[in-house]
Amino acid sequence: MNTSRMGTAFRAWLDERLGWGTVLTFLRGKKVPQTRHTLWTYTGSAILMFFIIQVVTGIILAFYYRPTLKEANSSVARIMTEVPLGWAVRSVHFWSATFMISFVFIHLVSIWILKSYRRPREMTWMSGVLLLVCTMGFGFTGYLLPWDDLSLAATKVGTDIPRAIPVIGNFFTKLLRGGEDVSGDTLTRFFGIHICILPLALLAVLAVHVFLIQKLGMSLPLEAEVKKKQVRELPFWPNFIFREMILWLVLLGVLLSLAVFLPPGLGQAADLRAPAPEGIKPEWYFLFLFQTLKIFPAHVLFLSGETLAVLFILAGGLIFFFFPFLDTKPASRKGKILTGVAWLFIFYALALTIWSLLD
Amino acid sequence: MKLKTSLFSRRQFLNGLLAGGLGSLAAALLYPLLKSVLPPYREPDEVRLPLADYVSLAPGEAKGFAWDIKPGFLKKKADGRLAAFVGVCTHLDCNVAYLPKQRKFFCACHEGWYDEEGRNIGGPPPAPLRRLTVVLEGETIIIKKEAPA
Repeated sequence: MNTSRMGTAFRAWLDERLGWGTVLTFLRGKKVPQTRHTLWTYTGSAILMFFIIQVVTGIILAFYYRPTLKEANSSVARIMTEVPLGWAVRSVHFWSATFMISFVFIHLVSIWILKSYRRPREMTWMSGVLLLVCTMGFGFTGYLLPWDDLSLAATKVGTDIPRAIPVIGNFFTKLLRGGEDVSGDTLTRFFGIHICILPLALLAVLAVHVFLIQKLGMSLPLEAEVKKKQVRELPFWPNFIFREMILWLVLLGVLLSLAVFLPPGLGQAADLRAPAPEGIKPEWYFLFLFQTLKIFPAHVLFLSGETLAVLFILAGGLIFFFFPFLDTKPASRKGKILTGVAWLFIFYALALTIWSLLD
Repeated sequence: MKLKTSLFSRRQFLNGLLAGGLGSLAAALLYPLLKSVLPPYREPDEVRLPLADYVSLAPGEAKGFAWDIKPGFLKKKADGRLAAFVGVCTHLDCNVAYLPKQRKFFCACHEGWYDEEGRNIGGPPPAPLRRLTVVLEGETIIIKKEAPA
């Protein structure tokens, strides 16, 4: 029996037990609509690529990283200086995180403006918002792990913010910190959240997200829905996958170049009792929220400005999550006002980010 | 009084019993898990510092001490008495610095200012810095959480 016949026999043996023939048949027949908006559909798989890079580099970093008060900073220093190519692994982890979050934002905004969240894709959107929350959670918890003075101050602020939420806020802050204050317990806890809780949560939600995309298919652009015209379609395999691979290769090239030439630094080990360093800022993707907090005055009527700002941000998040139920127009309607709101939001986020950067 | 018709069927009753039993079991298992999520924390009742370390402070100057894991500031007032503060900003929990030239506490995170008495005078802080009680006992400074009753 030659190898190819053995392979066929083995596949048949597996298929008899797993029944994956249906999946393969589906993927072989899967088509992707080809329109002038198709470019945006590439962002999803780019995010997936960055996530896979995060998993692989993250596992290697976890081999060396030690999440304790005494050793966190020095173990990262060891990764950067002693571990063979450890600096490159950390640098790729850092840059891939940045890229992942950027593409998550692009992905989200494109879906918002193209109104792809409308019936029947409400749950795809909602699972996507949960994935966004997971991604930002990864960024927030990962930022603390090198345990330098900047990451400590950012975490003190970030974990204190929930306190402003009435009733449950205090408990939530204590839960995040593992106590009243940011301490060694917080570090260990953030490590656990970063490498166990969030990956499990993200994978579970991602499974739902990807399943829904396969089940419902790509949404068609509005004008195609209106005119009911025939849209050109591209086979998913191999045509679409090959086009995606071109993008993956380009992104991988940019990522590795940045990682090699601009590796992240490492500050002095954090001292729990040292004053906050001047000009601290969170990572760029939190800047617009950071600046929102900053522009609220100390007191507005009977509420503290902080509570108001946090409630404002929370309300925004909830509206975001339930967005498909606020915009229930049929898929063919343009929804110009909502597009306007989307642009307004983008403008707001960009303006506050730039303001914060210049500040 | 005997009811003519049953309020719920036998199946409903058994389902309720089962759901209630399973619910209580889940709650009983969840409680210890939630309980273990927060470690105990007790702030120190007092911190003792040797007076000799702080005797050279000029009026208006301050020197840090460790209030457990938080920064504390011991400041000499114009009349020569000592005042103690917890150097944690009341806005969003950053550690503040004392600027002796301006005689102010400053929080770099969101540019919060406090005067030398710890009163919030500028920026986002909603409340003054927390003050601790200072007691002198021979050659020892005792810093206490609260004023003695």
